[in-house]
Amino acid sequence: MASPQGGGALSTRGGSGARRMKWALELSVGNTRSRSDRQGDVVYPIGYSEKPVPDTSIQETDKNLVEKRCWDVALGPLKQIPMNLFIMYMSGNTISIFPIMMVCMMAWRPIQALMSMSATFKLLESSSQQWLQGLVYLIGNLLGAALAIYKCQSMGLLPTHSSDWLAFIEPPQRLEIMSGGMVL
Amino acid sequence: AMAKLILLLLKLCILFFVVDAVFEDQVGKFDWRQQYVGKVRFSHFDTQLQSSKKVLVATESNVFAALNSRTGELFWRHVDKIGPEGNIDALLHHAQDAVLVVGNGRMLRSWDVNVGGLNWEMLLDTGSFRSACLVGQQGTVKHVAVLKKTVISVHYLSNGHQKWVENLPESETVDYQTVYSGGNGQVFVLGIVPHSHITIVVYSMEDGEIIKQVSVEAPWLSNIPASCAVVGQGTLMCVDSTTMSLNTLDLHQQLQMTQIPLQSLGLEVDPDFHPSLVSHQPNPAQKPLSEFFLQLGPERYLLLQLNNGQIVTLRDFKPVCNCFFIFHFLKDLSQINLAQLQPKATLGREVKLTLHVQAFLKKDDSVGYRVMVQTEDHTLTFIQQPGRVMWTREEALSDVVTMEMVDLPLTGTQAELEGEFGKKADGLLPMVLKRLSSQLIMLQAWIAHLWKLFYDARKPRSQVKNEVSIENLSRDEFNLQKMMVMVTSSGKLFGIDSKTGGILWKHYLDNVPKNAAFKLMVQRTTAHFPHPPQCTLLIKDKDTGLATLHVFNPIFGRKSQVTPPALPQPILQSLLLPLMDQDYAKVLLLVDNQYKVSAFPSTKNVLQQLQETASSIFFFLVDSSQGRLSGYRLRTDLSTEQVWEVVIPTEVQKIVSVKGKRPNEHVHSQGRVMGDRSVLYKYLNPNLLAVVTESTDVHQERSFIGILLIDGVTGRIIHEAVQRKARGPVHVVHSENWVVYEYWSTKSRRNEFSVIELYEGMELYNSTVFSSLDRPHAPQVLQQSYIFPSSISTMEATLTEKGITSRHLLIGLPSGGILSLPKMFLDPRRPEIISEQSREENLIPYSPELIIRTEWFINYNQTVGRVRGIHTAPSGLESTCLVVAYGLDIYQTRVYPSKQFDVLKDDYDYMLISSVLFALFFATMISKRLAEVKLLNRAWR
Repeated sequence: MASPQGGGALSTRGGSGARRMKWALELSVGNTRSRSDRQGDVVYPIGYSEKPVPDTSIQETDKNLVEKRCWDVALGPLKQIPMNLFIMYMSGNTISIFPIMMVCMMAWRPIQALMSMSATFKLLESSSQQWLQGLVYLIGNLLGAALAIYKCQSMGLLPTHSSDWLAFIEPPQRLEIMSGGMVL
Repeated sequence: AMAKLILLLLKLCILFFVVDAVFEDQVGKFDWRQQYVGKVRFSHFDTQLQSSKKVLVATESNVFAALNSRTGELFWRHVDKIGPEGNIDALLHHAQDAVLVVGNGRMLRSWDVNVGGLNWEMLLDTGSFRSACLVGQQGTVKHVAVLKKTVISVHYLSNGHQKWVENLPESETVDYQTVYSGGNGQVFVLGIVPHSHITIVVYSMEDGEIIKQVSVEAPWLSNIPASCAVVGQGTLMCVDSTTMSLNTLDLHQQLQMTQIPLQSLGLEVDPDFHPSLVSHQPNPAQKPLSEFFLQLGPERYLLLQLNNGQIVTLRDFKPVCNCFFIFHFLKDLSQINLAQLQPKATLGREVKLTLHVQAFLKKDDSVGYRVMVQTEDHTLTFIQQPGRVMWTREEALSDVVTMEMVDLPLTGTQAELEGEFGKKADGLLPMVLKRLSSQLIMLQAWIAHLWKLFYDARKPRSQVKNEVSIENLSRDEFNLQKMMVMVTSSGKLFGIDSKTGGILWKHYLDNVPKNAAFKLMVQRTTAHFPHPPQCTLLIKDKDTGLATLHVFNPIFGRKSQVTPPALPQPILQSLLLPLMDQDYAKVLLLVDNQYKVSAFPSTKNVLQQLQETASSIFFFLVDSSQGRLSGYRLRTDLSTEQVWEVVIPTEVQKIVSVKGKRPNEHVHSQGRVMGDRSVLYKYLNPNLLAVVTESTDVHQERSFIGILLIDGVTGRIIHEAVQRKARGPVHVVHSENWVVYEYWSTKSRRNEFSVIELYEGMELYNSTVFSSLDRPHAPQVLQQSYIFPSSISTMEATLTEKGITSRHLLIGLPSGGILSLPKMFLDPRRPEIISEQSREENLIPYSPELIIRTEWFINYNQTVGRVRGIHTAPSGLESTCLVVAYGLDIYQTRVYPSKQFDVLKDDYDYMLISSVLFALFFATMISKRLAEVKLLNRAWR
């Protein structure tokens, strides 16, 4: 899901050129700064850009491509499910660091995706089947989350048994006071 | 398959039960032991060498020991059987050998005094023991003579072999009482026919032949050892209390007693006093001294001398008490100013005494003496010449009856703060002032602390001592140090610091009857500053049934200002209620023999509370002589009504013990998690009683023990179990939802443990309140038994603050070890066949044998002699339980049933962790700085 190349056609050269002019004509030869520059850079002609300028004009044939790309995005979570099932099967139900990490990953990814749902929708904006794709994406993520919960359940991490709440049971209050013993 | 199973079992054991034993460097770090000998019956100073430091003592606790006369510590100690079997009848001491007659003349033992090793041991013929003496001949002592009721035997001192044994003539009519030898190859046996005559039988030392047998008229004499003594060249000196006269008889020649009236010597006997004689024979191979003591009154002694048939008064001692003097330096001893010997000054009070005196010649030919004094409270005090107390031993602690552990108070500053919050608010300004004053006190304490630190820092390290005294007692961070309040059978109370074992206070209660029953209760803990903590000791005379209360402060041992109520009626039992009066003292109810109840304290507030809650106060009484268990309910007018009664026929079985649950026990978990993650809820009835009965028929085929679980409120029998072909003594522990008991199986001739666990089932009936009156369902009962490889002396369960830590059983063994046995080995759910679920539950597969693993001994090699009781108390740390085992010795330690999960280990490397932390911190700082510099440089590029 690479974002389209933004920014202007005239990009800067290198990261360190924040303070540098976009372009400059060097007239004086005795400048110290230019001397150091000259060692690294080649002096380009005016109007020359280092990076190729992308063709920004939209063509009619790209519409299908966009559609396809959007379906890719929407079906992404569903495609991951078989993979997840395999990992689940492989990692087993013992509680140790790796299965726990797997489960965390499995649970966290769908949740993260659901959180950034609006961003995904923006992405799908250009598609004609935006709503269907959105629904598929949502279902895929929900299925992923459900799978993670199922894994937690089979690992015994969910407090679904009465034994999980045992520690919270307060000792009952006694209603009678009783004491006594052998006759001294 | 069996081998596999065993292997699996072993693996499981290794995996699950890694119990730490004490590491070598932890020895003595938080445990201590004190060894005692008991009340001294016989004592001898080891005088063979001038430099010898030994005092031999034989005690009423059947202990024979050698004490260091310089320090009071034990050189060695031998503990014999309890009761008449191990009773020490006589102690004879000559040179290196100490000969003991044990068990009413059953055993003759010789010990090496220097190392405490056994030289030899001889089993003697049956017959009740009368007397024993060493027999010397031609200046050397080679034999020992033992006189029994019908027989006299002479043994070699070197190997114990019998030289000869002779039946005594006319033993049916004559009561032989003493044996005497003057070192001339003859053994004199003295017996009497009451109200008639003395019989003297003289045996030849060589072959046991009777040389002479005479009878001498003495109708007034009934007891030779009490009123006679052999003096001088073999003269029997008897005192006749009816005619007030001394009677002398030369054992070698005369056939008639010579009477010398005391009046003719100018002496008078105190009224109602039976005069007695004390003589001394310094060496059995020689004649006794001609000087002897005559006691004329409880505090009146005379030193007399027999000189050619004439009695001369040497000296009249008035102040000294019940004395045994060593006459060796008799003439010199008479010059000692005995006023100095008077121990009143050093002991600070007037008590009945027994003195054991050793006198010796100093280098400058003056007489020195050492005195070992035994007072009525069983304290042994050793005094050197100018009345200097060398050491004291509190032998009363060899017989601790009951004890409690009391929290130490907070320090003054802590208490001040506590008190500030505890008091009621009385206006803004006083509150501000109070706060300021308490802050000021804290500042003062802090400055004092700093000053002390500064002051101590200047002194060499060896001089700085952190001694615990009653002034600087304060609770430590985790409440691990407590005050052990111990009650001894002699009526002496002790306050012992649990950390060091130092005795911080002692209080002797005189007028405690001989066979008293004690019950110690903590009425107010230290948590209610400024109210002082308060303990109450109930002392009941078992003969009359009358009881007294002793109310005291457990931290300082002082008698409380609170006046206990007078108890005119015999008291049956006392109950400590969880109700408190306005001063935070728990209410003590005393039940008298009319089943009426009196409260202490009995303020209006208390009586009102009692009236309000009377309908929910129940108590039970167990009368084992009548086999009656009965439950009572309190009425609002403090009378009682019987609610239930269970009678166990005394002809078939008798009730031996009743165990309820400890009131300070907490159970954290209300159930057990099963393998399928459901919960099996525990049946936690706080009113449950475990009653143990033993059959009166002791025949091994018919004897049985019974265990009854009764609800103390309703009298409902929850469970009943009978163990056939078993007999006691039964040791029981009752806690949480389980009862563990130990008995002797007569069928298989072994010790067995049995455990009963009670469960409510998979659902709780009522999870908010527990009322015995509303329990429609009977609990599920599970039981399992195990074989234990040793008999046991006592048993107790560990106790922790919140009850989260797993439980262990502390078992005192007769060998002196204290075993910490995890409760999980005594679990009736241990499966015979291992399943997935039982493995999930961590259940150990059932095996009938319980193994004693040596690392389970919490007292490693510090054996506790004759352990009689184990007291457990929770500390401030959940993992830690304080343990005190008492018997002849006292041993204190801590146990961690689930290891020390809440404390860093002893050998935790603080240096490493802190240096790593610091290093990381500095590394971060430096790298941050470097990164900044680098960024800047790059920016400049």
